[in-house]
Amino acid sequence: MTSPSASSRKVLSKIACGRLQKELVEWQVNPPAGFKHKVSDNLQRWVIEVNGAPGTLYANETYQLQVDFPEHYPMEAPQVIFVPPAPLHPHIYSNGHICLAQPLRVFLVQQRPADNDRYVKNCRNGRSPKETRWWFHDDKV
Amino acid sequence: MTEQVRRRELDLSSSFCRTVYSEIEEVGWENLVRLGEDLTSLSFRITFGTISDLKPNLQGNVCFAGISLEERAVSNCSRHLFLSDRDEKGRVHIMEILLDKAYPKCPPSVSADVPYIFKLEWSMNSRLKDAVQQFQEHVEKLQDFWSTLDDIDRSLWVVDPKQPHRATSFRQINTGDDCSIMLLINANDPRSIPEMKGKLLPENLASVLDTQLPGPPDAHKSGQHSECGICYAQYLPIDDELGAKSGSGTDYTCDNNTCSRAFHSVCLGDWLRSITTTRQSFDVLFGNCPYCSEPVAVKISTKK
Repeated sequence: MTSPSASSRKVLSKIACGRLQKELVEWQVNPPAGFKHKVSDNLQRWVIEVNGAPGTLYANETYQLQVDFPEHYPMEAPQVIFVPPAPLHPHIYSNGHICLAQPLRVFLVQQRPADNDRYVKNCRNGRSPKETRWWFHDDKV
Repeated sequence: MTEQVRRRELDLSSSFCRTVYSEIEEVGWENLVRLGEDLTSLSFRITFGTISDLKPNLQGNVCFAGISLEERAVSNCSRHLFLSDRDEKGRVHIMEILLDKAYPKCPPSVSADVPYIFKLEWSMNSRLKDAVQQFQEHVEKLQDFWSTLDDIDRSLWVVDPKQPHRATSFRQINTGDDCSIMLLINANDPRSIPEMKGKLLPENLASVLDTQLPGPPDAHKSGQHSECGICYAQYLPIDDELGAKSGSGTDYTCDNNTCSRAFHSVCLGDWLRSITTTRQSFDVLFGNCPYCSEPVAVKISTKK
């Protein structure tokens, strides 16, 4: 369910492999605060534990982000979704897909996007959020 | 009065001389390679087992002639030369001994070309041959150590030292691919895994792992970037798909002096092609540096 195109994913190119190995080392040496890479032997799929930022509605909560890298990373963007249960947020669908024009910075309101049910239903056949033509609701949250 | 003092001194020194001569006799004059004029310094040649893979140039170092026993020392050397020709194994060691005028009340001090010296056990009844015997035992203990080093010298490409002494317990060896490694052999346990070190280790690791390892976080930012800003590698992978560029280093630098980020033109070309605002004129792509957003123009290879 959360790995839509996993079976059809192509293996990483040599360049992608090399770059990801370096990024992984950098994560291990110098991890961004609040984010923890879960150790695995899969270079193509990273699972990142995210701690809710202190002082927000998500403080003391832990969520898991799943980052899937495409064959031609970094020329193509990775796919980033929350592993359900995803945090309740107007830009995050219950299947973990994230609708964002900007990085997820401030979590202000705990609710699902307005079109959550319709969107999740449409994705049931295992569609990647990267295949979605996003319709940005509002930039206020 | 003074006559008496001088007489006693002479007596003393003649008894000292007698002692030294008789003790050298016990060790064997043929083993003496040097004797100081006042008899307070002397060197013995000590062989172990069935002697000597001495190399000719080492041979030269061995026979430096004593002052009063010049003839003898030289003839000894030539004799050993002959012996060493016949004998392939064993090693020759020079044991240098310094005697105090109060010898044998004071123990002799011993030095030699060994990784570490032994603690001399000495009593009033001890004689030079006892010191020699203790040195021989010490040398015997070190045979395994020297065999290990000889084995390294024989079978590996030793970068340093070029002409090692018997006391030298390290070898810097070439491990191929422009790598070398420093081996420190434990003289007490030469067959244990040697300590490996040297300033070249980070470079070695990078070569062996085929990747540029990140430096400490701060140095990383100010340091020169010779790695590509896109694939993060200094050299492209060896890949037939990359054609002539396979394995090549960064060949493009952002013209903006405050940026100067290095790229592979292959990577920058691929990056620009993935961006919708990039324009192409013949085989040149015009776009923006992914780091500083200043305009960049990169020539792309036409075939692909």
